[in-house]
Amino acid sequence: MKSLRGLTPYLLAFPAVLWVLVFSIWPFLNTVVLSFTDARPLRTPEPVGLANYAKLFRDEQFGYAVTTSLTYTLIAVPLLTFLPLLLALLVKAKLPGISFFRTTFYFPVIASVVVVGIIWMWMFDSQGLVNQTLQMLGITDRPVNFLVDRWLIILTAALLTIWKGLGYYMVVYLAALGSIDKELYEAAALDGAGPIRRFWSVTVPGVRGAMLLVTALITAAAMRVFSELFVLTNGSGGPGGHAMSLVMQIKQVGSGLAGQIGYASALSVALFVLTIGPMLFVGWVQQGDNVREGIRNWQKARAFKKSQRVAA
Amino acid sequence: MVNKGLRLVLAAGLSLTLAACTGGGGTPAPAPESGEAGGALSGEITFQTWSLKNDRFTPYFESVIDAFETEHPDVTVNWMDQPGDGYEDKILQQANSNTLPDVINLPPEFAYKLAQVDQLTDLRAADAATVDLYVPGAVTAYEYPEIEGVYAYPWYLGTDLNFWNMELLGKAGITEADLPTTIDGIFELASKVAKETNGEVKIISESPKMGTLNNAGVELIKDGQFAFNTPDAVALIDKYHQAFLDGALPAEALSGNYLGNSALFKQGKVAYTTASAGFASELEKEAPTLLANTVATARIGNPPLFVQGISVAKTSKNPTVALEFAKFVTNNDNQIEFLKIAQGFFPGTQAANDNPESFTSVIENALQKDATEKAASSIKNAKPEYPIQFTYAMDTYFKQQVALAVRGDISSQEALDKALQNANDSME
Repeated sequence: MKSLRGLTPYLLAFPAVLWVLVFSIWPFLNTVVLSFTDARPLRTPEPVGLANYAKLFRDEQFGYAVTTSLTYTLIAVPLLTFLPLLLALLVKAKLPGISFFRTTFYFPVIASVVVVGIIWMWMFDSQGLVNQTLQMLGITDRPVNFLVDRWLIILTAALLTIWKGLGYYMVVYLAALGSIDKELYEAAALDGAGPIRRFWSVTVPGVRGAMLLVTALITAAAMRVFSELFVLTNGSGGPGGHAMSLVMQIKQVGSGLAGQIGYASALSVALFVLTIGPMLFVGWVQQGDNVREGIRNWQKARAFKKSQRVAA
Repeated sequence: MVNKGLRLVLAAGLSLTLAACTGGGGTPAPAPESGEAGGALSGEITFQTWSLKNDRFTPYFESVIDAFETEHPDVTVNWMDQPGDGYEDKILQQANSNTLPDVINLPPEFAYKLAQVDQLTDLRAADAATVDLYVPGAVTAYEYPEIEGVYAYPWYLGTDLNFWNMELLGKAGITEADLPTTIDGIFELASKVAKETNGEVKIISESPKMGTLNNAGVELIKDGQFAFNTPDAVALIDKYHQAFLDGALPAEALSGNYLGNSALFKQGKVAYTTASAGFASELEKEAPTLLANTVATARIGNPPLFVQGISVAKTSKNPTVALEFAKFVTNNDNQIEFLKIAQGFFPGTQAANDNPESFTSVIENALQKDATEKAASSIKNAKPEYPIQFTYAMDTYFKQQVALAVRGDISSQEALDKALQNANDSME
């Protein structure tokens, strides 16, 4: 009986471990293995060594896709990290009817990205609402090619993501803001800190944990952007496919009965590496002080032990 | 200039359009016209269609199955239908797990991939006489390079016509007598109309794709290698570039942003589209005010052929029953009854096409009837838009490069060279 009790933690953990192994680890390892083969649907894959990875460097479309994904990430991550925080500060106040605004800001989160994407497509079309308004106000005399120019497509897609994600991350920040001690704000005010100073010296450190989470989530999601760009360009990635993201390229290359699964797997591994890089960078920026302090402490402890050994 | 790009989308479109089209009801004919095995059939088979289980078609299929089961009391046919989206993935999944339905609705490109890995029955080897009953051009769509045999019975066919919005064209003083009869004529008209209406009325609303070259008679493949970067193809892309400069082609068309000419046509945003004959029924339902001002003319250039077929899985546990049912579903009488519901399409049997009145007599919409009769003359010469080796990914890359050429970022020759190299490099 006692021995069985010892197994309890493992039995409880088993379903979760099995889930992770079957649905995360195994597919990931399988993708890595397939990336070294010429796998195609309904065929037995043959190993091709590093050929798929060599092809990545020759593939012009891959270069465009990496640039698109990175640009999109560079636009979306900072804006989606700070704008929801400002929005949360705005709706945090206990005012009559403020919950109406909180709910309203959350509405885009609930909407389907495809439906919203189609609506944005209509709005940003050359004959759409945005262009008509710009022309009516005399800002432009001809339609702006929001959905044809590469950089404008990426910008429009990033704005769509930001607009849609604001409400979700606002809720995350609202929860974090609630845990900041009000006395800190009072103390800062007594010390003569203005609103901006209080924001940077009290609010931002107070929500740093939530900010790290938000930034990591956005970075991973931004590098894997698909729906927004796919819908806005009707799956084409714009003229030349120059606004195609990495995930769009993976889909184009790997799907269907004629899919090149081996090459698509190599693209997936490249996407994984490219996603991990920015996330580590974000972690370093957000928690750099803690990490550096940890390293310093570790070095001190090591030096102390060494000195003790020498003394002995 | 068909609506949705490549074969895959066309195949899906053919299926989905069929699912959406209007028409009267029909009852299946009980007797297969040939190839009856004679002996008592028995066993259970599965029959899979693509996006055809709905209020319009379900009674028809239930009647067909009932008739077959009545004729063969020891046979059970289980009918299942797959949604329009993701059919290719479903087929792949079924083929991977060795669970392909016994009798299955497949467009030529799906059947090709399955035939390559020996998952489909060669119907010519199974019963050569029956294959000869179908439209030769449609049978050819299921004959593949370096693979012996025929891998589906042609079921229903489609081709394109031109539809013109005479009210919009009237703004530029264009009458029915001025409508073009050549590809060059379309571009001349497009530029003229764009200039006369200051860009308000646009005619060309789709960037070229591989089917555009086929329509213009460009040789696409030669000795097993793609060879479409010809001077004729370059000249054709240059015409699109000029149309873009003239304001006759909307910018969004370059990013494939538009839903296709037919959708724009229904919205009254363009004055010209290509579509199947069933488009008239769509207009009647979705844009009735356009119907009276719309004129259909025969497709200019090489008419495309869109085919749906019925295949038999090689892994079937009841191959004889499956073969007999495939023949039964696609026999002449059953196809005629089917086409009475699926108005605007054409049967896969020669006998029915020799007597179009057998399935067009029920059409009430005047434009639909006119369009179907005009398409009936084209369907005999219609050929698949793409070589079977040309894949979705190849076509996407083709359109991306050509869009750059239309915009003037690269030359037409460069775009075609790049698309050609990609296609040949990607060919299995």
